[in-house]
Amino acid sequence: MKDYTIINADKIAADLLPQKFGRNGKIWTAVLILFCIVGLFAYYRQLRKGLVVTAMRDYVSWGIYISNFVFFVAISLVGSLITAIFRLANVKWSTPLTRIAEIIAISAIVFASLIIIVDMGRPDRFMYLLLYARLQSPIMWDVIVIGTYFIISLLLLYLPLLPDLKILISAKQAAGKGFHKLYLFLGSFWKGLPEQYRISNRALHILSITIIPVAFCIHTVTSWLFATTYRPGWDSTNFGAYFVSGAFLVGAGAVVVAMYIFRKAYKLEEYITELHFDKMGKIVVMLAMLYLYFNINEYLVPAFKMKKPEEVHLTQLLAGEFAPVFWFAIIIGMIIPIIMLLFPAGRKPFPLFIAGIMVVTGAWFKRYLIVTPTLLHPFLPMHDAPETYRHYFPTWEEWAIAMGSLAGAMLIITVFARIFPVIPVQETITEKNEKAE
Amino acid sequence: MKKPNRNTIQWLLVISLSIAGIPMYPQDSAGVPDISLAYYAPHNNIPYVIINTRMKIGKKFSVVAGVPVTIYLNEAVTDNLMAKLTTDESGRAKAVIPAILKPVWDSSDGLKFLAVSGADRKFPETNAELTIKKARLEIDTASEEGMKSITAKLLEKNGNEWTPVKDAEMKIAVKRLLGDLSAGDEETYTSDSTGMAAAEFIRDSLPGDKNGNIIITAKTEDHDTYGNLAVEKIVPWGVAHVNENTFGKRTLWGTRDKTPLWLLGLASFIVIVVWSVIIFLVVQIRKIRAIGRKNNVAVQS
Repeated sequence: MKDYTIINADKIAADLLPQKFGRNGKIWTAVLILFCIVGLFAYYRQLRKGLVVTAMRDYVSWGIYISNFVFFVAISLVGSLITAIFRLANVKWSTPLTRIAEIIAISAIVFASLIIIVDMGRPDRFMYLLLYARLQSPIMWDVIVIGTYFIISLLLLYLPLLPDLKILISAKQAAGKGFHKLYLFLGSFWKGLPEQYRISNRALHILSITIIPVAFCIHTVTSWLFATTYRPGWDSTNFGAYFVSGAFLVGAGAVVVAMYIFRKAYKLEEYITELHFDKMGKIVVMLAMLYLYFNINEYLVPAFKMKKPEEVHLTQLLAGEFAPVFWFAIIIGMIIPIIMLLFPAGRKPFPLFIAGIMVVTGAWFKRYLIVTPTLLHPFLPMHDAPETYRHYFPTWEEWAIAMGSLAGAMLIITVFARIFPVIPVQETITEKNEKAE
Repeated sequence: MKKPNRNTIQWLLVISLSIAGIPMYPQDSAGVPDISLAYYAPHNNIPYVIINTRMKIGKKFSVVAGVPVTIYLNEAVTDNLMAKLTTDESGRAKAVIPAILKPVWDSSDGLKFLAVSGADRKFPETNAELTIKKARLEIDTASEEGMKSITAKLLEKNGNEWTPVKDAEMKIAVKRLLGDLSAGDEETYTSDSTGMAAAEFIRDSLPGDKNGNIIITAKTEDHDTYGNLAVEKIVPWGVAHVNENTFGKRTLWGTRDKTPLWLLGLASFIVIVVWSVIIFLVVQIRKIRAIGRKNNVAVQS
């Protein structure tokens, strides 16, 4: 049994340790960097000329940047879902997915913070936000809770990484010289001693408990940025739960997409199996149904009453200017994935990957629909406003910055996958050994 | 270069003439010019006339701005010139009777206002007139045994006397920010043989000023004979509005140093609890680190 364990451990380590990028990996990274550079150039133009380079005006003061922010905040919830909830529920099959989920969460939360600074126009305004913080403002609550969630997510990524760092340090040839120094800096003190494991496990347990309410807070508080403002479409007591359910869905969709790509790129079929896809597919379908339920509550009930001040907003969403995007988000982002994933064939890796892409794309447009149409339909009629103030379509600078931020988040995940194992090595070895015994 | 053939030239000529001909007949679609006059005498004080210039196109009226209009009193002669005006962007202009025409005003019981617009590219020469009879409104209130009532009286000038007007329709209302709220059950009231119309005041608990004062009004609106007359009276029949000043107090809309204590306490408690856990976890990582270092030293020695 002992011999089997050693051979098995070596094979697992060899399979899971980070590898140098092949041709496809390099092209992928170059494309992401290119998007980031274009985004940075657009941001440079915005810094030089001001927010006038955007299409945001008096009425639409929250455009694609804020919808992108809400999207990032939503996607970051996945870290707590996969890691914390499954860990506390002692769900063993989720082990290969935990690190993928955590790095998605961290990259998303980093860019959620950055995109807010972009939206402020002048970045020094962020300093004023801290210097002259008003605790009465939900924006301040968001700043506090995002900062807290980022630190907790970082700890949740770092602690389970410690045993893997030991393996990475010992497998010198697998990493470059620079990376080796990084591994030493981060985890040279981990010796795998029982006392270290005991403290680490206890810390992880506490972290898993802590991150769940913080993750719920981050999404609830983000929803309150809207719900505490009296406007058509935002005046809802349901918004917190609506946002949290949507965040769970998009986060799970993102994990599914990342699972498929890493499985293909690193040939991880033995570790991320069809069983994982089947189980994640069931989770996605459940979350999609839950989110659809909240959407019905959010739109059908007000549409049934059709209160006069909300009439224009609802009509524009359901049958007007925004109807194509609205129905795209509902049908592509929820209904088709639900239909696909209800059947076992739909939960196979490739169909699930397609469903995941549909969920994530639909979710991005859904955030846009939450933010912008409401601002175009204020309770008081627009009076003496120039024609350009009555419509909103992002300028190329806004698109470039938004796409650059999405590319940036994916670049963090890509770079992480180059430096660290995307599947926990030590945990996988331990679990395989436990099964073998 | 190939010469264009004769047919092509003919067609081009027809098309060009057709296009050029379109603006040659603007009057067909320009509509019928219209000037309307309305007489106002608020608080039985200096009266004035409002002029509206519009164009009737099909069944709709559209406002015409910037139309020069001359207003005369009784007769379109220079001596009776009231004002020379130009209508604003909403097609409106206001003409007040000048002091110089006071003798004309005083000498008659009824008056005629004449409006003449000069010929203009966008508004052809148009005349309009309005005849009114001088009248005045009076308002009175009574409050007995909890019953409040308002009486309005309409009188018209006949020689040197003011005589009551019978069967005249008028409004008796309370002035509010965005319009008039009828004081009683009826929207309008009709004067009796004494020229009086009475309304029972049923609007209890209406917010008034800081002393509970509200403004009640009686008015005729677009009356064919008397125009728009209005009179007001302030009565203490409202509920005193006490404006609570929250300046400098701890409120959700206050400055940052005026955060409500409950919010400050709650938020601080949550932040302290969560960050205590984070600090505890960082300490745990340091412990793991210390154990590792200690083990290193032990192995080396």
